[in-house]
Amino acid sequence: MKKRILSVVLCAAMVLTMFVGCGKDGDSNGVQKITWMFWDDLNATEDLISKGYKDVVDRFNKDYEGKYQVEVVTTNLEEYYPKLNALVAGKETPDCFIVSPGPNLDVYVEPGKVADLTSYLEKDGWLDSFNGGKGAFSQQTYDGKIYAVPLNIAAACVFYNTEMFEDAGITTMPTDYNGLLDACKKLKDKGYTPITISAGTAWCLSMLCGYLCDSEGVDLDKLNSGDASWLDSNVVNAVNKMVELSQYFQDTAAGDTNDVATANFYNGEAAMLIQGSWAIGQINGANPDFEKKCGVFAFPGTNGRVIAKSDSLAMSATTKNPEAVIAFMKYFTDDTAQKYTAEVGGKIPVTTVQYDADKAPAELAYVMDVFKNAKSTFGFYNESMASTEAGSTFDDAMVSIYLKQNSVEAGLQIVEDFYKNNVWNKD
Amino acid sequence: MDKLLRNKMAIILFLAPALLLFTFVLFIPICQSVYYSFCDYNAMTAPKFIGLKNYINLFTTDRTMKIALKNSLFFLIFSVVSQFLSGIFLAVLVTNIKMGRNFFKNVYYLPCILSSAALGLLWMFIFTPKMGINQILAQFGIQGPLWLMDTKGFIILPMWVIAFVCLWQYVGQSMMLYIAQISGINGSLYESAYLDGCSKPKACWHITLPLIKPMMATAISLNAIGSLKFFDLIFNMTEGGPNKMTNVLATHLYEQGFKFFKYGYASAIGVILLILCLIVTFIVNKFIKIDNYEM
Repeated sequence: MKKRILSVVLCAAMVLTMFVGCGKDGDSNGVQKITWMFWDDLNATEDLISKGYKDVVDRFNKDYEGKYQVEVVTTNLEEYYPKLNALVAGKETPDCFIVSPGPNLDVYVEPGKVADLTSYLEKDGWLDSFNGGKGAFSQQTYDGKIYAVPLNIAAACVFYNTEMFEDAGITTMPTDYNGLLDACKKLKDKGYTPITISAGTAWCLSMLCGYLCDSEGVDLDKLNSGDASWLDSNVVNAVNKMVELSQYFQDTAAGDTNDVATANFYNGEAAMLIQGSWAIGQINGANPDFEKKCGVFAFPGTNGRVIAKSDSLAMSATTKNPEAVIAFMKYFTDDTAQKYTAEVGGKIPVTTVQYDADKAPAELAYVMDVFKNAKSTFGFYNESMASTEAGSTFDDAMVSIYLKQNSVEAGLQIVEDFYKNNVWNKD
Repeated sequence: MDKLLRNKMAIILFLAPALLLFTFVLFIPICQSVYYSFCDYNAMTAPKFIGLKNYINLFTTDRTMKIALKNSLFFLIFSVVSQFLSGIFLAVLVTNIKMGRNFFKNVYYLPCILSSAALGLLWMFIFTPKMGINQILAQFGIQGPLWLMDTKGFIILPMWVIAFVCLWQYVGQSMMLYIAQISGINGSLYESAYLDGCSKPKACWHITLPLIKPMMATAISLNAIGSLKFFDLIFNMTEGGPNKMTNVLATHLYEQGFKFFKYGYASAIGVILLILCLIVTFIVNKFIKIDNYEM
């Protein structure tokens, strides 16, 4: 009998322990807990912007101790969206998460997975603190409603090694494609690798292609709507230019990741890096001495158009603690965080905060010049297409052309076929 | 025992946990997947029935599917053949050595118990042009190939690289299965064979190999199904790139489902994968005839 009772008790204990793991975190001791999902490990990162985000979290948790608490869920950038998608699909959307505007945000806005933030922004003058007011939210606005808050702006530019340029006798920065080719030739003749780029991380190569397409007058909206073809001469010309330029890439470009390609630049192994200004944090974080010999100029031949991108925060439509999430979001856009963004991280602030330009990395001033002189901005090509899959198809097609796996026409035919089957003729 | 087996309630009680687990964790999800494979489903809105459209697209317009299918079949054939041959070779070798038998067993089995994600990253670094093998080759004036980016040939170099890494990782598992079977063979069979003048290779051919046939069927089935479902090393070494050329069915499924939110389409790939696994298991069981010997 004793054995039976013991076995029943043990079985009950086993079942109970199984269910313990199924319990959901609730509010304990009156503290509202919220989750924030981010694409970098905040404890291991060397990226200065990510370090700034960690400061924001620490500051918020300290200031709101006993009321709100943020728990950070991190993953690396490559696995970020698949993991976030899985959580959203499993109805476990984080209360707050970082997202890039474009198709990555579209997929959450359309089924109503993210909250409309307009009323929160319009309260207490939060919206007015942004540079340009509502205009700062153009990429985050759908039917007049704002679904995400930008945290900073980055512009894609050409970073260059001033010492190598001087040694190669390049005194004026290239302003058109031929000027860029001339500069590359001079650098190569001097024994330098002119450009470091990553084809291993496909979007890096596709960002260059985006610039070349734009300089050829490619209208992405027309391509998305089916009023233009991926086989039009201007697209073909742009991609041919990428192929021509690729002779000046480092030998290992096909296999190098984005991090390796950036490291090639700040380690003095290549003269130019075509990258977003978020790289400033990475460059200065890894090699602070490089700052004094790093110059920046706008990608040549784009008629004053610059690729711009912002990190944005979205709030889950089902969060139980919207006040806590909004309070947390405000910490990212307050003066302390925005000053850090400019002065340490090297990104362009989104608010009207006055930062100390002398404290900011030298590269930021150059990027600001590029940004101020820009006539207009446009998004990353792969993030401005009809869907994330369309962007991925474009990225892969560019890599296949670079690797000579496909001719320019055959590579573009792949993108054309994808659009025919999935975008233009979608029923 | 007989008394227990006559008690139907006891049989039901003993079977119930496994049956419930099988039903809720395997059977119902499989049925759901089959249903979703006929739907346009993004997991955020209700599934919309579209008939066979996902399957038609898979085999007509999806160029990655063709690549993934080719790579999965390559993986299947390579893994089954290489692990079968090297697994038996190592098992026979290890059981026949007197010194360091356990040491070698552990050495060959060690990669099996390590995390595939960690190993994938490790091998990725080894094959990255800026470090690892190519840097060693450069010391001898040899320019190494782009191990994980070369796209020439019907089966591209990265697939061969991943297949060999996979062989390195899992050959220990096949070896252990064969060792377990070889250890069960009665030593007197070998003794009498040697007394009759049989050499060691002949004893291996005429005694060991026929007696490990049942394990061959098991090991080949496990290898075949495992290689069809293969995901982690590829994901960590190449993520299916460059240009989706190293995708296999599992990575294609992952990309379509979790990257592009096409859960219906991903389910269709899952169903194809399931059918392939069933076909392979059927073929292995049909064509490897098992004779039961007294060991």
